[in-house]
Amino acid sequence: MRKAISMIAALLVAVGLIGQGVATAGYTKQKVVYHVNYDNPKKQAGALRNIQNHINAVGAENLDLKVVLHGNGLAMLVNPDSLPNLPKFKHANADDQMAAKIDGLKTQGVRFQVCANTIKGRAVNMENDLYDVDPEDIVPSGVAELAKLQGEGYTYIKP
Amino acid sequence: MRKTDELEINAYVDGELSDEDRIEMLAAMRSNPELAREACELTNLKNQLQLAYANPPGISSCSTSPRRSPWTAIAASLMMLAGGLTGGWLLGHSPATSERFVMLDAEGRGQAPATAESPETRIVFHLTTPDQTEAGELLADVEQMLKAYQRDGQPLRVEIVSHGEGLDLLRTRLSKHQEKIHQLSSVFENLTFVACKNTIDRVEISEGIEINIVPGAEIIDSGVNHVVKRQKEGWAYIRV
Repeated sequence: MRKAISMIAALLVAVGLIGQGVATAGYTKQKVVYHVNYDNPKKQAGALRNIQNHINAVGAENLDLKVVLHGNGLAMLVNPDSLPNLPKFKHANADDQMAAKIDGLKTQGVRFQVCANTIKGRAVNMENDLYDVDPEDIVPSGVAELAKLQGEGYTYIKP
Repeated sequence: MRKTDELEINAYVDGELSDEDRIEMLAAMRSNPELAREACELTNLKNQLQLAYANPPGISSCSTSPRRSPWTAIAASLMMLAGGLTGGWLLGHSPATSERFVMLDAEGRGQAPATAESPETRIVFHLTTPDQTEAGELLADVEQMLKAYQRDGQPLRVEIVSHGEGLDLLRTRLSKHQEKIHQLSSVFENLTFVACKNTIDRVEISEGIEINIVPGAEIIDSGVNHVVKRQKEGWAYIRV
C-alpha cells in the first residue's frame, strides 16, 4: 500500500517536471556516481534533492546516474519498522517521504546500489528491512564499486 | 617589519612575491598566527578551486596559443583519427577491456582512459573529518578490501590522505587507532598513510605545540594537491 502511494506521488512529481519544460540545453551525456555513507536523514534528503536538481539541469536522457549506499548510508533504505531488529543502525530513514523521493528518482532512471558487505555485516534482511531493493541492486562492496565506476569514466560526487 | 596587507597575502599565496618579501612574510606569519591562518585559508581556497576545475570541460589550458597554425589542427585531427582507429580496434578485439575506454563526445572531449594500461585498482581516500568512529570504519572497510584483493590475487593500492581535521587520525597524541594503523601498515605494503604538511604547520602555529605523526606515515606538502595529482594519474577518489 505504502509503495502504491509513493508511486503515485512519484508519478505526480514526474508529470510536474514534464509540465515545467525542463531546461537541458548545452549538456552532453554524463555518467555520475553519488556516494552516500552517512545516515543523517536531512543530509540524505539533501543528497536526493541534489540529484533531482542535477537531472533537472542536464535532463534524464543525458544522465547515467547511480547512487552507491554503504555503511551508515544504507539507513536511507531501512524501513522504520525494522529499526528495532537492526542494532547496528541508528537511523531508519525510509519513511513515506523518503520513499516517494526514491521512487521519483527511479522513474527518471536513477539506480540505487547497495553494498553486500553492509547487508551481511549488519544482518539486514533485504526483503523485510529494506525499501524496494532487488538482488540486482546489490554490489559486492560499495567502496570497490565506487572505484570501478570511476575507472569506467563515472564522475564521483559526494554531497 | 613592513605592514602586511591583504594584497600582499594574496601575492604570497599566488607565489608572486620576491624571495626577500617571501622570507619576510614567513617571518611575519611565525609571529602572527592570525596572518598565518589567513594565508592558510587562502591557500586552501585556491587549492579547492584548482581541484574543482582540475579538468574543466571545454576550457583549454592557458598554454595553448590563441591562434593555431592549420598544420597543428591537421596533425591533431590525424592523431584523433589514429586514436579513434586504435580505440575502435581495441573495442572490437578485446571485450574485457572495452568498458575502460570512454568514447569522445561530438566536440572531441572525453576522459582519458587513465586505467587502461593498469589492471591495478588504485584508490585514494581523502579523510577530512576528525570523527574517529568514522575513521575506524574507514580502516575496517580498507582492511576488508585489502584482504579480499589479496585473497583473489588482484593488485590493489590504497592511500589514506589525512588532511585538515582528518589529520587527527595520524596524530600520536589524538589517534585512537594507532595500533590498527601500525598493524595494517606492517601487513600490507600496498597501503600508505599520508599526512598533509600544510595542516601540520598550521596546527603547530595555532596550537603552539609540536605535532607528532604516527610512525610509517608519509608527509607530503599539500593534501589537496596530492589528491588532485592522484586523480590525474587515474586513481579513484573517495571522500571520507
